[in-house]
Amino acid sequence: MVAIIRRELRSYFVSPVGYSFIGFFLVLNGLMLLVTNLITGSPAYQFTIGSMSTWSLLAMPLLTMRLLSDEKRLRTDQLLLTVPVSVGQVVLAKFLAALAVFGGGTLITVIYPVALSFFGDLAVGRIIGAYLGYLLLGGAFIAIGIFMSSLTENQLIAAILTLAALALMMWILPGVRDTFITASTVSGIVFASVVGALVALLVYLATKNVTLTGVTIILFAGAIVVVALLSAQFFETLLLDFLQWFLLGDRFDVFMTGVIALSPVVYLLSFIGLFLFLTVRVVEKARWA
Amino acid sequence: MITVKNITKRYGDHVAVNDVSFEVNEGEVVGFLGPNGAGKSTTMNIITGYLSATDGTVEVDGHDVLEEPNEVKRRIGYLPELPPLYGEMTVTEYLRFVARLKKAVDADGSAMERILELVGVTHVRERLIGNLSKGYRQRVGLAQALVSGPQALILDEPTIGLDPHQIIEIRNLVRDLGKGHTIVLSSHILPEVSAVCDRIIIINRGQLVASDTTENLAKRLSGGSQYLLRVGGADNAVQAAIKGVTGVSGVSSRGVVEADSVDVIVDFDDGADPRRAMFTALSKADLPILQMKPVDVTLEQIFLQLTTREGGGSN
Repeated sequence: MVAIIRRELRSYFVSPVGYSFIGFFLVLNGLMLLVTNLITGSPAYQFTIGSMSTWSLLAMPLLTMRLLSDEKRLRTDQLLLTVPVSVGQVVLAKFLAALAVFGGGTLITVIYPVALSFFGDLAVGRIIGAYLGYLLLGGAFIAIGIFMSSLTENQLIAAILTLAALALMMWILPGVRDTFITASTVSGIVFASVVGALVALLVYLATKNVTLTGVTIILFAGAIVVVALLSAQFFETLLLDFLQWFLLGDRFDVFMTGVIALSPVVYLLSFIGLFLFLTVRVVEKARWA
Repeated sequence: MITVKNITKRYGDHVAVNDVSFEVNEGEVVGFLGPNGAGKSTTMNIITGYLSATDGTVEVDGHDVLEEPNEVKRRIGYLPELPPLYGEMTVTEYLRFVARLKKAVDADGSAMERILELVGVTHVRERLIGNLSKGYRQRVGLAQALVSGPQALILDEPTIGLDPHQIIEIRNLVRDLGKGHTIVLSSHILPEVSAVCDRIIIINRGQLVASDTTENLAKRLSGGSQYLLRVGGADNAVQAAIKGVTGVSGVSSRGVVEADSVDVIVDFDDGADPRRAMFTALSKADLPILQMKPVDVTLEQIFLQLTTREGGGSN
């Protein structure tokens, strides 16, 4: 596994990929610093990290797009999968290598708060918390990127899928959440119906069985009616609760307050674990296809 | 050493490998022969654990490839059809990487030196693999399979895309390796297989067609022997005269090559040798024999016979 980490790290820096990532990352960070701290003369560096948490997703595909797609394209996966190393170790090694480069880039930015400390009082606790949250969040971004790169042989497609997924979770879903902040029972019922319809569609596509599809629809409709009669407020928060599962940014925000709470840490770690697990499944499934 | 039992690989409706079984004994060099798309690479990928069979089992040294993949992978060196090389690494960097992946113990680096020497890449060891020629890449691929000294080598078309000189080198290399390894080698080039292998497994359209030594295959298929005759005279007269000889099972014309003569292929019955009788018969009919030579059954013919008989198609 160490061998794969070393090879990946080497591969980042013998090609322009590693330098492009770090360069792009530092330019973004410099911009955020300029807007958040320099122009306003504020020492609150944690807000620069906060801005980075949403904007640095633009740089992430550079790190992850080729991790697995290139192995498939060049058929080097035939080496990795026929040596006594498990798929889990391969995926984890690649994740750790990408995380190391991301962590390296982040480490360079520590210069900024250190420089700022000469000109004002820093909220050291909040900045450390924000950095920790940012590393975990970056890990989650990387996990999604690796997953996307396991789906295709084409780096560009992997990059676009990664950007789409990250933009959805960091930009679009928070917007949707804000729109439905004054949630109503109706929106929850509509949402539950849409989910029911999607499940029924999946059942139909998987089995082509009309009866089974009908039963699914009836079950869902029945459940919605029963729940609506028994406890209407369940639907009031349903949509928000559902969205909440996917809002990575909300978990990060907790760290910015300087509090290292257990639940966002566990959430982000399990998010990373889930996507690495899914990646392993995708790679293993290719053997059976 | 390697036991393949009833493996089948299906891709949707397409059956790539259909119920193939064979065994490779310790120290044997086995040629895996078939037209392109016959299922050779798929079978090799299943043996090495890169793909999983839809049905059937593969055992290497008593270890099932699905249940104990690492035990199997430790014992096998695999050269896929396209060598799995990283262009941005030098030859030594790459081989060291493979050695670490395979957890090979090579404290003083002597095993690495030996492999570099064996496949003949010592003088390009510090060059980037991406800048090497096809022949050298193939050698590095072979070196990669040899790292950690596996008992069995699976080589998928090791000479594909090489020039004749390189083909001979790799072939000699494989022959040398055969002295210490169990080797399964795939090819669609027949002389290559007959030159290197103890035994041949022929596969076509995903099915095992034959598995035997080269000589046995030839014996089994040819029945008796064949001679090519060039006789001065008309086609009909020549054929009629030869057909009358006992011990001749068939005559077929090959057309006129030399003026005023005809070429015919004569099949003999099993064990019969009617050459003298043919001479007498033809000279009585005033048809002089200009040439008579045995036709060896080549592997090509065996192969075509086998692959066209089954399912009526070869590529």
